[in-house]
Amino acid sequence: MGCASSVPDRNAGSLTGLNDGSTASDSKNLKVKLVLLGDSGVGKSCIVLRFVRGQFDPTSKVTVGASFLSQTIALPDSTTVKFEIWDTAGQERYAALAPLYYRGAAVAVVAYDITSSESFSKAKYWVKELQKHGSPDIVMALVGNKADLHENRVVSVEDAVEYAEKNGMFFIETSAKTADNINQLFEEIAKRLPRPSVVSV
Amino acid sequence: MEGGVGGAVSSPASTPLTWNDFLDRMRQPSAVNFVKSIKSFIESFTTKVRNTEEDSASVQQFLFNMVEAFRAHPLWAGCSEEELESAGEGLEKYVMTKLFNHAFASNPDERKHDEELSEKMALVQQFIRPENLDIKPTFQNETSWLLAQKELQKINMYKAPRDKLVCILNCCKVINNLLLNASLSTSENHPGADEFLPVLIYVTIKANPPQLYSNLLYIQRYRRESHLVSEPAYYFTNIFSAESFIWNINAKTLSIDELEFQNNMESARALLPGISTNTDSITATSQTTHHDVKTERIKSKESQASENRKKLDGKVSDTAKSESVSVLETKGANDLLKEEELRKYFSEYQFLYASAGDLTVKDVENLLDNYKQLVLKYVSFLKGIGAFNPSFPSSLTEKSAETSNTREPNDVKESDRDSDKFDVFCKAVEDSISESPSDQTDQTMESNDHHEFPDADGNSSVNTWTEDSGMLGFNLSPTRVEEILNSDTIGNSITNISKDHGSLDSDSEKTQRSNEAAVP
Repeated sequence: MGCASSVPDRNAGSLTGLNDGSTASDSKNLKVKLVLLGDSGVGKSCIVLRFVRGQFDPTSKVTVGASFLSQTIALPDSTTVKFEIWDTAGQERYAALAPLYYRGAAVAVVAYDITSSESFSKAKYWVKELQKHGSPDIVMALVGNKADLHENRVVSVEDAVEYAEKNGMFFIETSAKTADNINQLFEEIAKRLPRPSVVSV
Repeated sequence: MEGGVGGAVSSPASTPLTWNDFLDRMRQPSAVNFVKSIKSFIESFTTKVRNTEEDSASVQQFLFNMVEAFRAHPLWAGCSEEELESAGEGLEKYVMTKLFNHAFASNPDERKHDEELSEKMALVQQFIRPENLDIKPTFQNETSWLLAQKELQKINMYKAPRDKLVCILNCCKVINNLLLNASLSTSENHPGADEFLPVLIYVTIKANPPQLYSNLLYIQRYRRESHLVSEPAYYFTNIFSAESFIWNINAKTLSIDELEFQNNMESARALLPGISTNTDSITATSQTTHHDVKTERIKSKESQASENRKKLDGKVSDTAKSESVSVLETKGANDLLKEEELRKYFSEYQFLYASAGDLTVKDVENLLDNYKQLVLKYVSFLKGIGAFNPSFPSSLTEKSAETSNTREPNDVKESDRDSDKFDVFCKAVEDSISESPSDQTDQTMESNDHHEFPDADGNSSVNTWTEDSGMLGFNLSPTRVEEILNSDTIGNSITNISKDHGSLDSDSEKTQRSNEAAVP
């Protein structure tokens, strides 16, 4: 819900595809692989779409698939970060495939739905997996989505904060529906990226 | 429509001119050293003992070094990054087409994996339902998925890693567009990976693309590393995941009751020999111990069937009959080469020794008639020995049609005039064979891209870009055809049978067509 109202601009996906191999990251312009994990139905793709289309003309009729998207943001220190966002299938039966996706990722965003304790448990599972098998310097963010549905909240902010702190993660609650905190999420991630060593894309 | 993996696939940057541009530059006298390096690399690669890891590393290193050398060379002076990019693509295609027979599916374990995987898909495809993979009803549209399946099934028609990758990307693109259309016409959310991956898995199972595992490894090893990044890498990871999921498929991963799953597999197994001739994989079966008894039964059924066939044609071996086609063919070719007067065998095929320049407009009709007869003979022959498999709808005709579309205009004069007739013919063939070409045929129908640089001194008298018999599905490699042609001394100047696949061009066009078709 809440992410089907308009569609992103054609540039949003930056579909340079097969011939995009020559763009290298440098210290001013980072290119990072971000993997998105979380139960199905927590709104992973909505978060990305919000982020990606926010800065483009929402009246554009061009549509893109939401499983791979990229978006560049500029930081105050005049550097840019290009996120290449890899969505993963959240259904239980596909859990074993996730390592293929987060291999080499510089960032992992682990999302859950604040109205579903099950999705929070699943998020914890992903965090453990990443700690075991992800790259050691991966930047992890814990994201409680659907913050607009606070009347149905079952996962408290306190619990999530505590868990995130214990695991050295950055935590934020978002609403893909209202766009609350979406940009903040990605800006915060960008700030936390280890500068020179992140050139892993 | 743009979007999805769209840009990746139909990106015009390196498309139509890439390949010819690369070859043209290589024919320049100043490219002589490049040609030498390439030839010597190919030579050294083909003669050394296979080691997949080292092979991949050496090709990657070579391609990288060459592109750097291009960059510094006067031939590319003042060229844009894009043109250099084209050269890199051309180089990769040239080198890998040459190395294909050595680099593709060279490992026996991987070939075994291919067979078992293919068998698994052949079984599972008979009972799997979209819900088994969590595909929501909104996104269930099996008819449209056929388009995606077709893209995937083309993977063995190409030899270059990029071309193979494009087949995968095209398949993903079609799926993305279908999902998007479905989500726009309902109130469903924008589809993400939760929707995409299950459909890709479903489509892959239904398509049962030939040698999927080997193809994926080949792309991973030989597509230039710098180009297996970003979006293509993402979709490549998805198909790899799909392969891994299918390989490990069981009752649990499909949310089917264990007993029901077993029963489904058994019924599928029992049905398979009856409706298909994909017996290679059936006999290679039986890693599943539960089914040993059943498998035995099927095996005996199968050999019974082959017994019957044996009566019809005493030469067909009773185990792997598809293989026997190629065995026969190879044997025949070897025998032919020993013949003193090879030419007499070909006297009725008047165009065999012709080059494109010899043809007149009037010949086109003759040629076409000849071709039709040949195809019908060949198809009947295959049919006769039972080498057809119904699991690949219309790929023979499709391939033929495609080839006719992508033909260079100067290859065969006035070819357009016949395209209508040709389509009718294709249709007729399609109608006349209720079953379609087998896996085996499919594999052998791969493009026999065979390209030669001129001699180092720049003489390029031999570049006849003719269609070769690859489109008919002969197992004979172009080199072998060449060998046969040349072994009979008739003073003909054909030293090269080659065909530009034109894949880049045609792929984007075709996908566009598929997508237009996909959009209601």
